Amino acid sequence: MNIELSDLTRRFGRTYAVAGVSMEAGPGVFGLLGPNGAGKTSLLRMMATVLPPTSGQLRLLGRDPGSPGPRREIRRRLGYLPQNLGYYPGFTVAEFVEYFALLKDMPPGRVPRAVAAAVEQVGLGDKAKAKLRTLSGGMLRRAGIAQAIVNDPDLLLLDEPTAGLDPEQRVAFRAILRGLGERATVVVSTHLVEDVGAACSQVALMDAGKVVFDGTPGELIARGEGSGAAGDAPLERGYSAVLAVARSLPATPSAAGTQRGPGTWA
Amino acid sequence: MTDKDVNWEAIFPRDGANWAEPDGRGLSPPDVDLSRVWTGVAAEVWRRRPGPAERLAAWLLRSPGLARALVTTPSLLLGWVIATLVVLAAGAAATLGTGTPYVALFAPALAGAGIAYAYGPGIDPAWELAQSMTVSDRMVLLVRALAVFGLNAAVGLAASAASGSAAAVTFGWLVPMTAVCALALAAATVSRSANVGVAAGISGWAITVLAGQASDGRLTAAITDSSLFLPYLAFAACCGAVAWYATRIPRGAS
Repeated sequence: MNIELSDLTRRFGRTYAVAGVSMEAGPGVFGLLGPNGAGKTSLLRMMATVLPPTSGQLRLLGRDPGSPGPRREIRRRLGYLPQNLGYYPGFTVAEFVEYFALLKDMPPGRVPRAVAAAVEQVGLGDKAKAKLRTLSGGMLRRAGIAQAIVNDPDLLLLDEPTAGLDPEQRVAFRAILRGLGERATVVVSTHLVEDVGAACSQVALMDAGKVVFDGTPGELIARGEGSGAAGDAPLERGYSAVLAVARSLPATPSAAGTQRGPGTWA
Repeated sequence: MTDKDVNWEAIFPRDGANWAEPDGRGLSPPDVDLSRVWTGVAAEVWRRRPGPAERLAAWLLRSPGLARALVTTPSLLLGWVIATLVVLAAGAAATLGTGTPYVALFAPALAGAGIAYAYGPGIDPAWELAQSMTVSDRMVLLVRALAVFGLNAAVGLAASAASGSAAAVTFGWLVPMTAVCALALAAATVSRSANVGVAAGISGWAITVLAGQASDGRLTAAITDSSLFLPYLAFAACCGAVAWYATRIPRGAS
């Protein structure tokens, strides 16, 4: 398993951003859905080894990221696209991707070809020598995706990767995701349920720090059938139905009123 | 980039079957993976040639990633270095004109600001991403801070020597500069803001100079009083420990 989480929590002051999530995942594309503030980004940041957990067990690529040596090895095989990715305005696309390839400790001889392949893969070949300050929001997002995949990661974590992409780019991006998911574990946090339906083999729905649903997109659709839940698409109705049920359950007082039973994604 | 700059041999290896010239009529690869070829061409065309400083840093540090991070340090960029040179040159001229060692008074504050800007949050737009990299952000900070300190010390010493300051003054400010740099770094890392570090370093040094003047009657008391050297170094060590602690990966709630 590339991801093993056991009762993982993350607390900011008295607020639980992630409240007891358990999960196992091997290769494939996993969608992480949920409303704003559900804890998706905090969960992803913990898996990216940027944010340490408050409690619980976290193992990535068979290693414990709490120790420096294993953490270094995990990061070498990790691709991460943060929600708020900053850009160096004076860098070109190729320089930006190359910078992070070098920081990922890739062998220098392999870097130019890997950068070219990643930039081509996200469709920015004609902008490779363009300064980042001249690019549109969607192009910047693709540059961010390119740096995430440049090291051919075994664990790829993408936080809102399709934000700012036009429909054509999103379709192309989903194809990239499916390709990557054949070999690597890809976790995609998104608000766009159609991305999950098109690209993900497994989906988890988070609310108030807990995983309130885990299953396939088909199972999520089934939850919405006949429920009368709001939504234009079957997945949206499933999403609304699951959230409505989760929010109607009594809260467990131990986690600042946010827990609604064990969150598992196995 | 010209045709000569491209390593065509790397793109089209001559030992491949596709490179055969069976009829002697030139190069006519029969079955070429154009996508692969294009990636090779793009890799050669887009690749960045590191400058001498970056190549030297990569050789010294044994890490091209660390070297790249070093040369992108805001306070090591050409504009910043030129600004530092201008300020210290002006200080040297003023010292020659007035006899007051302005270089020695400016240098610690300048170095403190530079060190604070070697730290990512608030300055590095891709800080969160950089934190997830194999080359640790703490190592990047250490290398950047040492490089900024070394550069400022070298430039400051040259300016001080050019201004004809007495030897005691020339070397006297190196110790307080170490303390000011450590203070700026500690403040930046604790607050996770380079700007706070700059403010702490400059205001800390200003207070020290003014306090020295108030107690001793001389503006240069903070750099010439050798009894202060040990407290400066102890303070620097404490601030260094604070910065080291602040940049650890914490466990538990924040």
